[in-house]
Amino acid sequence: MFYFRGCGRWVAVSFTKQQFPLARLSSDSAAPRTPHFDVIVIGGGHAGTEAATAAARCGSRTLLLTHRVDTIGQMSCNPSFGGIGKGHLMREVDALDGLCSRICDQSGVHYKVLNRRKGPAVWGLRAQIDRKLYKQNMQKEILNTPLLTVQEGAVEDLILTEPEPEHTGKCRVSGVVLVDGSTVYAESVILTTGTFLRGMIVIGLETHPAGRLGDQPSIGLAQTLEKLGFVVGRLKTGTPPRIAKESINFSILNKHIPDNPSIPFSFTNETVWIKPEDQLPCYLTHTNPRVDEIVLKNLHLNSHVKETTRGPRYCPSIESKVLRFPNRLHQVWLEPEGMDSDLIYPQGLSMTLPAELQEKMITCIRGLEKAKVIQPDGVLLLLPRMECNGAISAHHNLPLPGYGVQYDYLDPRQITPSLETHLVQRLFFAGQINGTTGYEEAAAQGVIAGINASLRVSRKPPFVVSRTEGYIGVLIDDLTTLGTSEPYRMFTSRVEFRLSLRPDNADSRLTLRGYKDAGCVSQQRYERACWMKSSLEEGISVLKSIEFLSSKWKKLIPEASISTSRSLPVRALDVLKYEEVDMDSLAKAVPEPLKKYTKCRELAERLKIEATYESVLFHQLQEIKGVQQDEALQLPKDLDYLTIRDVSLSHEVREKLHFSRPQTIGAASRIPGVTPAAIINLLRFVKTTQRRQSAMNESSKTDQYLCDADRLQEREL
Amino acid sequence: MWRGLWTLAAQAARGPRRLCTRRSSGAPAPGSGATIFALSSGQGRCGIAVIRTSGPASGHALRILTAPRDLPLARHASLRLLSDPRSGEPLDRALVLWFPGPQSFTGEDCVEFHVHGGPAVVSGVLQALGSVPGLRPAEAGEFTRRAFANGKLNLTEVEGLADLIHAETEAQRRQALRQLDGELGHLCRGWAETLTKALAHVEAYIDFGEDDNLEEGVLEQGRKPVSIVSPEPGTTRDVLETPVDLAGFPVLLSDTAGLREGVGPVEQEGVRRARERLEQADLILAMLDASDLASPSSCNFLATVVASVGAQSPSDSSQRLLLVLNKSDLLSPEGPGPGPDLPPHLLLSCLTGEGLDGLLEALRKELAAVCGDPSTDPPLLTRARHQHHLQGCLDALGHYKQSKDLALAAEALRVARGHLTRLTGGGGTEEILDIIFQDFCVGK
Repeated sequence: MFYFRGCGRWVAVSFTKQQFPLARLSSDSAAPRTPHFDVIVIGGGHAGTEAATAAARCGSRTLLLTHRVDTIGQMSCNPSFGGIGKGHLMREVDALDGLCSRICDQSGVHYKVLNRRKGPAVWGLRAQIDRKLYKQNMQKEILNTPLLTVQEGAVEDLILTEPEPEHTGKCRVSGVVLVDGSTVYAESVILTTGTFLRGMIVIGLETHPAGRLGDQPSIGLAQTLEKLGFVVGRLKTGTPPRIAKESINFSILNKHIPDNPSIPFSFTNETVWIKPEDQLPCYLTHTNPRVDEIVLKNLHLNSHVKETTRGPRYCPSIESKVLRFPNRLHQVWLEPEGMDSDLIYPQGLSMTLPAELQEKMITCIRGLEKAKVIQPDGVLLLLPRMECNGAISAHHNLPLPGYGVQYDYLDPRQITPSLETHLVQRLFFAGQINGTTGYEEAAAQGVIAGINASLRVSRKPPFVVSRTEGYIGVLIDDLTTLGTSEPYRMFTSRVEFRLSLRPDNADSRLTLRGYKDAGCVSQQRYERACWMKSSLEEGISVLKSIEFLSSKWKKLIPEASISTSRSLPVRALDVLKYEEVDMDSLAKAVPEPLKKYTKCRELAERLKIEATYESVLFHQLQEIKGVQQDEALQLPKDLDYLTIRDVSLSHEVREKLHFSRPQTIGAASRIPGVTPAAIINLLRFVKTTQRRQSAMNESSKTDQYLCDADRLQEREL
Repeated sequence: MWRGLWTLAAQAARGPRRLCTRRSSGAPAPGSGATIFALSSGQGRCGIAVIRTSGPASGHALRILTAPRDLPLARHASLRLLSDPRSGEPLDRALVLWFPGPQSFTGEDCVEFHVHGGPAVVSGVLQALGSVPGLRPAEAGEFTRRAFANGKLNLTEVEGLADLIHAETEAQRRQALRQLDGELGHLCRGWAETLTKALAHVEAYIDFGEDDNLEEGVLEQGRKPVSIVSPEPGTTRDVLETPVDLAGFPVLLSDTAGLREGVGPVEQEGVRRARERLEQADLILAMLDASDLASPSSCNFLATVVASVGAQSPSDSSQRLLLVLNKSDLLSPEGPGPGPDLPPHLLLSCLTGEGLDGLLEALRKELAAVCGDPSTDPPLLTRARHQHHLQGCLDALGHYKQSKDLALAAEALRVARGHLTRLTGGGGTEEILDIIFQDFCVGK
C-alpha cells in the first residue's frame, strides 16, 4: 500500500480486486513512493464522480482527487435532478451504467414526470432530491467502487512529457503536481474543475475570489492551461438565497403533489425508495410589481447584472427577468431541500442584490411575507470553495444569500468528441469547464470522459456517441463543433432526431454499445437490455402480423375511435397507435398471442410508445443513415488545415476547420461557414489519404513493432 | 418491397394525400436513404433531355411512370410510354434505362429517362417524379456525392468535382435569389418566418411549458399563424419581369432602372433594386448612349459595373456582360468610333434597327454558353423544387393539425419549416432558440 507525505489522507483504498500489469509492478517497486494510476480524475462534482467510476468500471485503476471527501456528491445549486432534456441525459448516463440516476432513485423526496401530456418522446423525468441523502449515497457508492481510490488534495499543476508520435498534440500529460509539491503519475488525466478556474463570487458590489482563504489552487492550474495555449472564456451564473421553511405561509399557496406511482430514473429499478404518500410537496408563488420596483431602484448596487460576462439566456436571475420582461408575474417554485431540512429553495429567485435588499424583495412575495433569508454574516470570507454548479458548497451547513458566480471556461472546440484535448494528449475535460451548466450535462460528459480516458490507456478506439444515438451525442457535438458563448444547457429542441432518442429507449441505444465497445456496463444490465430489445422487436413483429378489418377491431375494442369507413385490414400495431388503446386492451381483444407482452409493465408501455412513433421513425431512419454515413468518413486528426496544399479551401474555412478540428465529414459540415464545395474537397482528400495509407500499410506494420519494443524498454527503465 | 412499406406508412398516416417524404433540419446533409432526381442534360430546346434518378425508390418510380409495364431489362434501352401517375395523362414516349445498383453511376439503383427535349415534356416528367412518394429533387452535387460515397468515382474524376459543385451552388444561389426576389419569394419568406415563430412557440411549450410561465395559450398562438399558410405553389411570378423565348432559350428579361447617382429617394430605391438584379443576373445587357460616353454617369457605369464583371476570372463566375452602345446613328460615320479605351462592345441603333441582328446573334451565343452548361440548374427544375418543397410543407402542416401527440406535432412543424427553409435559406436550431428566449421569460 502507498502513502503520501503530508498531503491529505487516503480515504479508501480498494486494491484488493485489481490486477497489476507486470511491467508496472516492477517499476513501482523500483520507486515505491511515486504512485502510478491509469486514470486520475480531478474534482469530485457531478462530472468527476461519473468520470472516476466510469473509468473504474472500464477496468482502469483510478484516482479521484478532490479538495474534500465530504463534499463529494454535493448538489451545490438546485435541489433537483432531471427535467425536460435533462431527464433524457440521465437515462443515457444510466444506460452506460453511470451513477446519478440510481442515486436519485435512492435520494428523492418528490418524483414527477414533466410533459406527461405532450408525448413520451419529450417526457421529462424529474425529482426533488434530498441533498444530504444524495451526498451520503453518492459517497457510499464512490468509496465502494472497485479499482477506485479517493484522495484529498488540491492540484497545482500538470506533469507534461513528450507527445506520442502517432497522435496529435504538442505534449502529453503524465500526472499531476499537488499543492504540497508531491506528484502522482497516471496514463490519463481528467479535469472536472467546474467553476473552479478563477472563480469569483459576486454579491451586490462585493466580489470574492472563490478559493479557500489562504490558498488559491485553481490559479496555478488555470495559468498552466493558458500557457499551453488553451483559449479561455468567461461565463456567469447564479443561485438564489435560501429561506427558512417555518417562516413561509404555505397555506395560501398553490400546492403541487408528486406522481403516484413514482417513475424511477434508472432502468434497473422498478420503483424508488420512498412511497408517493411519504414524499414532500412543492409550492408555487409569483413575483409582483413591487419586486420589479426593488430591482429597478437598486441596479446601481448590482455589479453582476451590469457586467458583460455572458450568462445564460434561459436561467436568468430575477434581475435580468425584470429587466427583459417588465410588468410580468414570474413564477417562484418553493422546493424542499430535503426530508429533514429546514430550508426551502426558491427556484426562480436567483439574485445578486446586496444581502439586505434580498430579504426586502422576498418579503414582497405572496406567502413569503414573513420569510427569513438566512443571513451570511461574514461567511463568505471563511468558506467559499466552488463546486461544479456555479455554487458554493455549504460545507459548514451555513445557509447563504443569493449570489452570482463568474468563472473561466475553456472553449470546447479545443476538445475532441471523446473529450480529449487537441493540445495535450491524454488530457480530458468534462463538465462546466467546457461551458455547460447543469448536473446532468456534467454527469453525461463525465461518463464519456471516464470511458475514453480508460480506453486511451488500453489503446482502444474512442467511444463516441453520435448525434443520431443520443442526447449525449448532441451535447458533445454541439460543444465541440460550434462552441458556446453562454452556459450550454440541454433542450429537446436541439435534437434533430427527437422522436428516436427517447427516455424510454436509452438502453437500446447505448447499453449494448457501452458493454461491447467501452466495457463500462455490468453483465446484469447488459443482459436485461438485450432481453428488452429482443422482446420489443418480437412484440412489434407480432403486432404487425395481426390484421383484422377495422369493423372487427371496432367490435373488439369499442372504446377506440377506429374509423370503419374503409374496409381495409388494419394491423394491431396501428390500433395501438390510438390514444385510448394500450397493450392491456389489445391483449384483452386478442389474448393469443398478445397476452404475454402485458406481463412486464415496462415492455407493454414501451410497445405502446414504439407504436405511437412508428410511421415517423420509419422516415427518420433514412435521414439518420445519411448522417451516419457522413460520420463514418473520418478526417485525419493531424491535418494542418492552415497549410495543406492538396485541398483548395478558402482562408476563412481553413481557420474554422483549424480551430474546431472536426473529426468527421459530418461534423465539418455542421460548422457554420463551411461550404458544400469545401466538404467535397475534404472528401476527396480523405479518399486520397486512405488510399495512400492502405498502400503503406505493410511498411508501417514493421515500424509499429519497433515502436512497441522501444516503449517496452522505456517502461522497464 | 418499397410498395409494401409504402402502403404500410400510408395506412399509418391516417391523413392527407401523402406523407411528406423527408424532414430536414436545415443542415446540408443529404440523406442517402432518399431517392433523388434531376435533369442531367443541358436545357434549352435540345432534341433529347436526360432525367436521372438515384436511390432505393428508383425502380418503384420507373414502374409507376410506365405502368402497367414491369421493369425493363437491366442496362437495356427500352421504349416506354410515360404517364403522370396522378392524372394518368400521357407525358411522352421515351427511352428508359434501368440500372440496378451497385452497377450504376452512383452505385445505387438508378433510372434514366431520355425524353423529348421540349420544356413542357421535361417539366411534366419532373413533376410526375416529384409526386412519387420517396422522391425529391437532388441538392447541388448530390449525385456526385453519392457516387463518391459509394466508391464509384476515381480520383481523376473527382479532381474537377469541387469546382463543379461550386459552380452549381453558385448558379443555384443566384437563381434562387432571383426567383425569390419576386412576389413568390416574398410569400415564402413570410411563411418561413411564420412557421419558425410557430415552431419556436411549440418548442418552447415542450421544453419549458411545465416549469415556467408558459400557458396553454402559447400553443394556440403557435397553431393560429400556421393556418394562414395555404400556398398555391409555383404560380406567382414577378410582375416586373417578362419571360421570353430568345433563340430557343427561355429567358427571364428584367428591365431595371438606370443606375444614376444623386436622385430622389424613390428612384434611389429603383437603383438599389437594379443593383440587386445585376448581382443575380446570368447575363447583363449594359446599355449606354454612344454619343454621351464622356458624361460622368457613363464613366461611372463603365468603371463600376462593366469593369467589375470583366475583372472576374471566367472560372470564378458564370456571370456575363454584353456592352451595348445605343444611338449609333448619332456617331459620325467617318469618326474615330465611340472611344479608344472601351472594352469589347456592340453598336446598335434602335432608331434605324442597325446592329440588331448582331446583338441577337451575340445574345444567342452568350445564352448557349450559359444554358448549355449542364451543371446549371435549369428553371424547370427549380420550379419543380419549389413545388416539391411547398407541397411537402403543406402535407406536413396537415399532419401537424392532426397530431395529438405534441412531439409528433412539433415534428410535423419541423418538417414543414425544413421544406420552406430549403427555398429561403436559414433554418437552424439557434434561430428557434433565439425566438424562444426573446419571446418568453424562461428559466428558474
